[in-house]
Amino acid sequence: MLSSTGRALKDSDGKPGSIQGSKEERVSGSIMATRSTEKHHSSVIKAEHFSFYYGSKMGVKDITMEIYARTVTAIIGPSGCGKSTFLRSINRINDLIPNTRVEGRMLVNGQDVYDKRVHLVNLRQQVGMVFQKPNPFPKSVFDNTAYGPRLQGINRRGDLQRIVEESLRAAALWDEVKDDLKKSALALSGGQQQRLCIARALATKPNVLLMDEPCSALDPIATGKIEDLIDALRNDYTIVIVTHNMQQAARVSERTAFFCLGELIEYDSTVKIFRNPGKKQTEDYVTGRFG
Amino acid sequence: MNGHRSEQIGAPATGFQQPLVLTYGQDVKGYLFKHVGRLALLALTCTSVMAVLLIFLFVILEAFPFLGKFSIVEFLTSTAWYPQAHQKPEFGALALVAGSVYVTAASLFFSAPIGVLAAIFLSDIVSFEVRNVVKPVIEVLAAIPSVAYGFFAVLVLAPWLQKHLGFATGTNALNAALLLSIMALPTIISVAEDSISATGRELREASYALGATRVETMFKVVIPAAHSGIIAGVVLGMMRAIGETMVVWMASGNASQIPHPWWDLSQSVRTMTATIAGDMGETAKGSDHYRALFAIGLLLLVMTFLLNIMSEYFLTRAKKSLGRS
Amino acid sequence: MKVIRRTILDKAFTAITALPVVLLVAALLVILTPMLWRGAGAVLFEGTVEWRKMQLAEFGHGDEAGIRAEADQAQAARAAVYEMIDKFKSGVDAEQLTDRAKEIYRGFGKELQRKDMPREQYTMLRSLSREIRDKLETAFSSSDIGQIRELTNDVLQYETDDRFKGTIAREFFQLAREYRKAAATVNLNKRSEYARDLAELEQIIREMFGPRPTEESPALAQFRYGATRWDQAQDLLFRLLWKEEWVEKQPGQPLVKIAASRKEQFAETELKGMFDLVENNLGRMLNPKWTFYWRYFTDDSTPGHYFGGIGPEILGTLILTILSMAFVVPLGLISAAYLTERTHEGPVIRIIRMCINTLAGVPSIVFGLFGMAFFVLFFLPLFGAPSKPCILAGSLTLAVLTLPVMIRSSEEAIRTVPQTYKEASLALGASKFRTFVTVTLPVALPGILTGVILSLSRVAGETAPILFTAGIAVGPVPKSLLQTTRTLSYGSWDMAVADKLAALVPHNQYGMVVTLVLLILCLNALAIVIRSRVLKRLKGH
Repeated sequence: MLSSTGRALKDSDGKPGSIQGSKEERVSGSIMATRSTEKHHSSVIKAEHFSFYYGSKMGVKDITMEIYARTVTAIIGPSGCGKSTFLRSINRINDLIPNTRVEGRMLVNGQDVYDKRVHLVNLRQQVGMVFQKPNPFPKSVFDNTAYGPRLQGINRRGDLQRIVEESLRAAALWDEVKDDLKKSALALSGGQQQRLCIARALATKPNVLLMDEPCSALDPIATGKIEDLIDALRNDYTIVIVTHNMQQAARVSERTAFFCLGELIEYDSTVKIFRNPGKKQTEDYVTGRFG
Repeated sequence: MNGHRSEQIGAPATGFQQPLVLTYGQDVKGYLFKHVGRLALLALTCTSVMAVLLIFLFVILEAFPFLGKFSIVEFLTSTAWYPQAHQKPEFGALALVAGSVYVTAASLFFSAPIGVLAAIFLSDIVSFEVRNVVKPVIEVLAAIPSVAYGFFAVLVLAPWLQKHLGFATGTNALNAALLLSIMALPTIISVAEDSISATGRELREASYALGATRVETMFKVVIPAAHSGIIAGVVLGMMRAIGETMVVWMASGNASQIPHPWWDLSQSVRTMTATIAGDMGETAKGSDHYRALFAIGLLLLVMTFLLNIMSEYFLTRAKKSLGRS
Repeated sequence: MKVIRRTILDKAFTAITALPVVLLVAALLVILTPMLWRGAGAVLFEGTVEWRKMQLAEFGHGDEAGIRAEADQAQAARAAVYEMIDKFKSGVDAEQLTDRAKEIYRGFGKELQRKDMPREQYTMLRSLSREIRDKLETAFSSSDIGQIRELTNDVLQYETDDRFKGTIAREFFQLAREYRKAAATVNLNKRSEYARDLAELEQIIREMFGPRPTEESPALAQFRYGATRWDQAQDLLFRLLWKEEWVEKQPGQPLVKIAASRKEQFAETELKGMFDLVENNLGRMLNPKWTFYWRYFTDDSTPGHYFGGIGPEILGTLILTILSMAFVVPLGLISAAYLTERTHEGPVIRIIRMCINTLAGVPSIVFGLFGMAFFVLFFLPLFGAPSKPCILAGSLTLAVLTLPVMIRSSEEAIRTVPQTYKEASLALGASKFRTFVTVTLPVALPGILTGVILSLSRVAGETAPILFTAGIAVGPVPKSLLQTTRTLSYGSWDMAVADKLAALVPHNQYGMVVTLVLLILCLNALAIVIRSRVLKRLKGH
């Protein structure tokens, strides 16, 4: 149901939904033949009184929210509100920052990822991430996409080729790069690089895809392509996308969380957040009076 | 949630296939691997620490019997260095210490002002293109091995000095000081330039906006702001000069004396480094002379260590003061 | 007015700051130009036939038959010179002539002893020959041409005597006849002056053409050949033609050095033609050819580097540097990786950093002391190796010396790798180690390489640390790592200061140090190129 409301919102906003639809068919038709169309409402990620500190400074505090499977969830909020911090806590990529501290629980598939015994490699493999700035490795397109599978021990050329092709097709990049997979990824355009990063994340067959402002460094055309891609992936992955662009959140997500000053202000269906927010702060933000 | 997973590789996963929790085996293995690995890395990284400790230890060990047998006071205050005398060898290192200090001070007399001016030139006066030409020249000066400088000192500069300035000998304190200053310059310039350019544009703009000329801006604002870094550069240059062996050995004339009158650079001197280099080949292992040379080495080590601490102090201060501004 | 003064001061200051940089560039040129110019002479020069003979005999290089033919040709051209000198000498050199006469006398005495003859006859012949000898000796030392004629005539009247026929004594008469002839052409009053200058001339000719073919080859290599280079030959020719003299031009004034023409000095003697002969035919006598001596970099040398190249020095430098790099690169890389990957700056890291800084400040000669006390006297014996300076000890010492350079440059290189790469790799489920090896290291590699090259160039130029640990000035090419080696740096020092023989061959002196400097500058240029490429690539994205 959420899916349909999301789409309805988009259509009513006058976006060219029909074109997107056809593109989705073309792009993902081949590999998504077996996908089921029903939505599951079970939660995949669940934060329970989750707080994150940088030294003594607080990143996010006391967040409690559930993120549902095979749903696109957007996190919006003014800059510095902790939305990226929250996202980056889910796969513990924030561990790289020195002197951080965590309170509360962050459950992925029912497992607290801040538990001592968590299998970080498996976690990150299954919770993929796309970063703000496209960050392909300075290697070839092929090697970039095959990086994840190789980590998993897939070394047969044939397998790798199949995975690379399928990932690149899924990321709607295949047609543009299929002729020179040996080319350096740094030679691609910004939008292509970002789609390559998505393909790279998809190649590890993740369950969840975290996107940290994936379009902030891209021009409008490239942004459109990435959004189309998110739309095409929505039925197969649980996607969490952080964005400062409210229109984008409205266009791509089914559910939206509004963060402000490290706190979760409101979390509801996208339609509700944008049409009929429950809190004054949210309303001020989405109507542009704040931030 | 735990729906079917397609056998087709590349199909999207429909659930968490891999366990998110480590098995106990994995946990223990991972723990061991991580900690043993880290310890191994730490141990290898500590080679530097080991090296420093061993250097101090072995130089002290070899010098120790000497310090016990002869008077340290005499070692530091006497100028009589007659280690090979048959009757009663004398080990007074004062002339050698004075020689080192003398040559170093003379070289800094040339190199410190030149270095600071060159640093100002590079950071504030010339364009980026000129800088890109001058920098490699300085790097080349830094790269030329000291033995090549010494070679130049002995075979080119010394005869020239003797012929054109009428010195009794061409290998003298002036010769050594000139070459040492060329060798210390790259260090002084690069450290001073870093700290001068790190003072930032705002400082200069503020001064220019008040109507100051460049020379006033430099001397009244920029250099005071960057003085810690400049001092650190000079101290590092001093370390380079005092620890230098080949050039002073070849160029200074190696006469164990304190020049008289003190300002006469045309006299030969002998430095600590040159004494070690020159005498070690002729001593028997374990003899008093051998141990005396180690004692000189220890003295040298302590001196450079103190200078090092000094430069660290000034560098930290430079970093801090810039951080605050 | 004040403003004008301030402006002038400002302009003056700007000009003054440019001065040091001009000075630096000038210093660089002053130091490098003479070295390069003279050092190039070690490789590119006009080599004479003597040089090719030397190469053939000492190093076995060159076409033997061709060089022999060339040498014979040159010898043929020189024969006239030798002949002139010998002729002149026979009229001048009283001492040598006297010696010759004594020799003949002794030889004759021995011959008589071997013959079985009556006692009286023996005594008679003996006294007769003594008489001849004495007469000749008197004649040799006389400066009166009349007396000389008389005495030689006296001697020559015995020539027809049967008793002397077929014996060695006939050489007396030959000697007398030659002397009579020569004495007629020489100004006998100047004889002692001639004798002195003749010795000088002979020495110059020997230096120019080497020992005569009939002489025994000298034991020392530097005396075995004549002028091997055309420029040497030119200098010798000048000395041959002009005599350096100190004369008092005006009474009471200091002496002035002038070059006096020997041609005039010997104008009225047999030797007068020799100077023109040598001057005009020196090319044929030495046959100079432009030579590119690339084997300079591979050949061994004769003692004092008088002849030959610097092959063992280059080899030693390479072995020492590469071996020390083999120690220091892994260590430095691991240390840098540890220091950069440890996000937490605890006391341990601070101590390590302090030690690295201290290590960087230790004077190189103290490294030499340490290397001797630790590696040579303590470490090697632990493993049963002889407690002697050797390549292994030297390279370990150099490794410790260059460790801080290596750590700092690798650390810097690793730090320039964007954090996003690491994040991307970790987010894909790679372990930290895997991320370092597959992502960080490849991206940092050019930077690390720059550091390696800079350390390499530092190690190659160091002299003080190997003085007591690995280096020697003269010695065999090492066969194992437990032997000492010659190096370019040590050799440069030795040739500049210690080796007096080397001062005679400045091209080899400078050739050694120029090779060292060029080697290091090339390494540095390479590092600069790699670094600028890295910078460009980092700016690219």
